[in-house]
Amino acid sequence: MKNRIGLTIAVAGLLSIMISLPYYSGAYFLSVTMTILLNMTLAVSWDMMLRTGQLSFGIAGFFGIGSYVSIVAVSNFGINNVVSIFLAAASVAVIALALAFAILKLRGIYFAITTLALTMVFSVIVRNMPTLTGGSGGKVLYNTIFNGDTTKIYWLILTMTLFTIFLSIAFEKTRVHYAISSIRNDEIVAKSSGINVFKYLTILFVITAMIQGVAGAIYTQQYGFAYPETAFSLDFLMLPMAMALVGGIYSTWGSVIGSVVLGLVAEYLRLVMPHGSRIIYGIIVILIIMFLPKGIYGTIENRLRATRSGARE
Amino acid sequence: MNAKPFHLNRTLLILIILLVVIAIWKPVALIYGLQRGGLYALIALPLALILGIIGILNLGHGDFLTLAMYIGYLLFENLKIDPLLSMIPLFFIFLALGMGIYMLTIKYVLKSGELNQLILTFGISMVIIQMAELIWTTRPRNLYVPYASSSVSFLDFSVGTYEFLYPALAIGVLVALRLFLKKTKLGQAATAVGQNPRGAEIVGIDTNRVYFTVFSISIGILGIAAGVMLPRTSVFPLTGSPYTLKSFALVAMAGLGNLNGILVGGIALGIAEAVIQSIPGYGGWSDLVFFGVLLTVILTRAYRRSES
Repeated sequence: MKNRIGLTIAVAGLLSIMISLPYYSGAYFLSVTMTILLNMTLAVSWDMMLRTGQLSFGIAGFFGIGSYVSIVAVSNFGINNVVSIFLAAASVAVIALALAFAILKLRGIYFAITTLALTMVFSVIVRNMPTLTGGSGGKVLYNTIFNGDTTKIYWLILTMTLFTIFLSIAFEKTRVHYAISSIRNDEIVAKSSGINVFKYLTILFVITAMIQGVAGAIYTQQYGFAYPETAFSLDFLMLPMAMALVGGIYSTWGSVIGSVVLGLVAEYLRLVMPHGSRIIYGIIVILIIMFLPKGIYGTIENRLRATRSGARE
Repeated sequence: MNAKPFHLNRTLLILIILLVVIAIWKPVALIYGLQRGGLYALIALPLALILGIIGILNLGHGDFLTLAMYIGYLLFENLKIDPLLSMIPLFFIFLALGMGIYMLTIKYVLKSGELNQLILTFGISMVIIQMAELIWTTRPRNLYVPYASSSVSFLDFSVGTYEFLYPALAIGVLVALRLFLKKTKLGQAATAVGQNPRGAEIVGIDTNRVYFTVFSISIGILGIAAGVMLPRTSVFPLTGSPYTLKSFALVAMAGLGNLNGILVGGIALGIAEAVIQSIPGYGGWSDLVFFGVLLTVILTRAYRRSES
């Protein structure tokens, strides 16, 4: 009981620090925080899908669709900026749901490759519809969201991130968690114990795609442009993946810790070596996969568990 | 491996008939497609080898090709080595690089599940792309050799002669690989490992040595492909990237272990791409040919599997 009160106070304290951040932090630190929060959202959403045992390379694809739907809605059809984000979420959800029926039968490398190929397909489609999307020349938005008020944009991103983390924890704490991890560990066992594998995969796929689409929409609204190269950039896949891996996959807090650690490291590297910093992410991913597949959080958790059981004996 | 010397599945056959019809309608597309398709097959063969025998999909495949092209470019610029001659040193450089990459990374993930393997090779791909960007920037490099721009006129069109090297080389590599897999002891061992790794281990085959050899030879072949591509392709950090998924599309279409099918499929898709590109205003959509085929093949296979 004591423990729970302490936890509540800590969470409340952290929350109020995060919410009030724009009032005392400088513009630079605020923008770094926004980047970290955006990547954290993507990392958590990627990990949520991974928990079902399906590796998705589709982050960049849904991110790109979200960002294009939102920019096209605002600049071609004069729709309100905030509404355009919801519109992006809805469109991505519809696309993901339609795709779910086709691709959620796939497993392993076939699922991964299909999601990667779909990202390329989306970018080819966007590139070849110049009247709607501006083609490879991209699109620029002149009226950005909240007229470019950074504080409000920060709160918007923070809301998105907290919502994603909340959702991810909710999935971890409820029955969904057992369904998901049993699918990952042994699908046949899951199926024979009455779990509707396809239903859970679809729910996860659509929700994570929506989160990624919303992230894309907010990113575009924040910076006011979308080019095929940037909207579908594999950076939005690589960095979140690296973050989740560094922190530790199959857990919300792993991704959160990983994004804070790697986000700060990334920012430092960007200052020290402006061009080559992204090599480091790749190397980090390779090293983590080879030597620390459980990530920071997973490894610490294992250690704690080991010492606890050791103390009991 | 197969009783029939030349295995064709029905889908492939229908595709070929369709393409022959189109080719009569657009003969130039046939030639372009044949040339480009040969190149696709040449690049897809090593991917098929790694996927078929080691069981790893190398997402850095196309990026090794990029790297080989940069090194070929440097050999030409600094040592004046003709790109066609540089195929030989490039093969050995990349054979060695393949060995190094295998010993440093692939070896550690052989037993750790396909998701980890995919993430690892994806990481390798990113490292190569970013490294190329850092060292050579995104500026495209071109090199000029006079023989590469010769052409013959065909009907009313002129067709580059140099590009006929692509299918020729693809056939050469295919024949060499088949000889290696059939005639040499190591090749036979590799075939056995590809069919049943555990069984091969039980009968005393050193699987690690087989993987090591197959991986390095495959990366070495990319050196050859880079050499032949250099005179007609501009080199930039993302030159090779599209070939990874295209190669996988070919392997998925032909089926694992069907090396001949890769050549046929490569040429078929090369022609399909060339036909779409020849339609004015819609050339940009030609990129969808491979992805369309890839998605169709993967999905039909998945449904067939889930129905049975």
